Amino acid sequence: MKELFPAKQVMGFVFSLVLTIVALLVYYLDMSFTAGMTVLLITAFIQAGLQLVVFMHAGETEDRGAIYTNIYYGLFVALVTIFGTLLCMIWGYI
Amino acid sequence: MKIDNSLPLEYSTEENRLKILGFWIFLGAEIMLFGTLFASYFTLVDRTAGGPNGMHLFEIGPVLIETFLLLASSFTIGLGIHAMRLGRRKAMMTFFGITLLLGLGFLSVEIYDFIMYVHEGATIQTSAFTSILFTTLGTHGAHVTLGLFWGLFIILQVKKRGLTPETANKSFIFSLYWHFLDVVWIFIFSFIYLKGMM
Repeated sequence: MKELFPAKQVMGFVFSLVLTIVALLVYYLDMSFTAGMTVLLITAFIQAGLQLVVFMHAGETEDRGAIYTNIYYGLFVALVTIFGTLLCMIWGYI
Repeated sequence: MKIDNSLPLEYSTEENRLKILGFWIFLGAEIMLFGTLFASYFTLVDRTAGGPNGMHLFEIGPVLIETFLLLASSFTIGLGIHAMRLGRRKAMMTFFGITLLLGLGFLSVEIYDFIMYVHEGATIQTSAFTSILFTTLGTHGAHVTLGLFWGLFIILQVKKRGLTPETANKSFIFSLYWHFLDVVWIFIFSFIYLKGMM
C-alpha cells in the first residue's frame, strides 16, 4: 500500500494545499491591492510550476528541452497578450 | 516497433514519446487560449452596466470546495500514473475512478454556482463583465466535462486491453490534460475569484 503513495507526490499535494491557504489570506486579511496581487501572483505561479514538475513529469525524458521551451513560449505569448491588453485598454498607454 | 524497456511503458516507443511531446505543444496552445480569455476578463471586469460585480456575486464557500476537489483530483491522477508505472493495474484504475468522481463533484458545484449567479440576476447577457465571466469559467468547465468522458473511455480501454505501451501512453497523456485543467483553475481561483473578493 505504501509504495502507492510516493513521498514526492504527497509532499507536492501538501505544499499545494499550503499555497492555497496562503492565497486565501488575501480574502481573510485586510490587504492593499498591491500586497494582495503580489501574494496571488507568487502563490499561483509557484503552484503552477509545482504541477508541471512534480505531477506532469515535465523534465523526465530527453525531450525536456523541447517541452520547457514550448511551455515558456506559450507562457510568453499569454503574458504579452494579457499585459499588452492591459497597457492599451486599461492603463491608457496607446 | 522498437520497445525500450529502460523507460516507463508510456515512453517505450518513439511514437509514444512523440505523442507526449505533441500533447505538450497542444498544452502550449491552450495556455495562449486561456491567456486571451484572461486578457478580455481583466479588460471587462469593471463594465458591470449596473448589474452585479464580482464582490456582490462571488461566494467563498463553493469556490473553496471546487478548488479542493480539483486539487485532490490532480493528486489522485498523479498517484494513478505512479501506480501504472509500478504495473498495478487495479490500483491505477481505482485512482483514475476517484479522479473522475472528484471531477464530477467539481462540475456539480460549478453548475450549482452558475445557477446561483443566474438567480441573482447575472446571466451571460447582463453585462460585459458577466459575459466574459461565464465565457472564461465555461471554457474551463467545458474542458473538465470533456475530460470526464475522455477519462471514462481510458478506464474502459485499460480494463479491456490491460496495460500495453499504447494504453499506458493514452493514460499518461490524459493525466497531462487533467493536471493542466488544475493549473488553469489555480489562475481562475486567484485572479478571478480571490481578486474579485479582495
